[in-house]
Amino acid sequence: MAEIKWEKEMDAVLARAKREKKPILLDFFNPN
Amino acid sequence: MGAVTYPEANVIEFVNNNMIPIRLLSDTQPYAKDFNIKWTPSIITLDESGKEHHRVVGFLPPEEFIPAMMLGIAKVSFDLDRFKEALAELERIIAEYPKSKATPEAIYLQGVSGYKSTKDPKPLKAAYEKLHAEYPDSEWAARALPYRLIS
Repeated sequence: MAEIKWEKEMDAVLARAKREKKPILLDFFNPN
Repeated sequence: MGAVTYPEANVIEFVNNNMIPIRLLSDTQPYAKDFNIKWTPSIITLDESGKEHHRVVGFLPPEEFIPAMMLGIAKVSFDLDRFKEALAELERIIAEYPKSKATPEAIYLQGVSGYKSTKDPKPLKAAYEKLHAEYPDSEWAARALPYRLIS
């Protein structure tokens, strides 16, 4: 595994979380 | 986080295996408003329905990131009354990351989860005794102080 597989859309995250029965890691960041 | 913690191999493996990760710019709406984001990084653990259960604001080095996320996962289970799952996650934190800043809270929550799943107060006293002996200066040792009176 080379990197974390970040999702980009919250709807996709919620669908995956329900399907895979896993909690969600939500990271708010500032690139500057 | 992006330069130091997220590139670490054990962090990558942990996140990809145990969580569904998403990164958003701190001004992404409506989420920045919904989650009341005031500073970054804000690292939040949500359940499958998107409800918040745990938040860390500020940088986490690699050695603190995994136990902090495990504590978040345990809190999701605890809040949803899944005490067996919470206890399994908390026991892993305590056994595998005894020096983590997350561990005193994990011990406290282990005591509470043990009590709530059995109605036996002994886990609360055990949590106090472990915190008092091994983490006496932590805020969680102070919070557990009343449990010293359990007989």
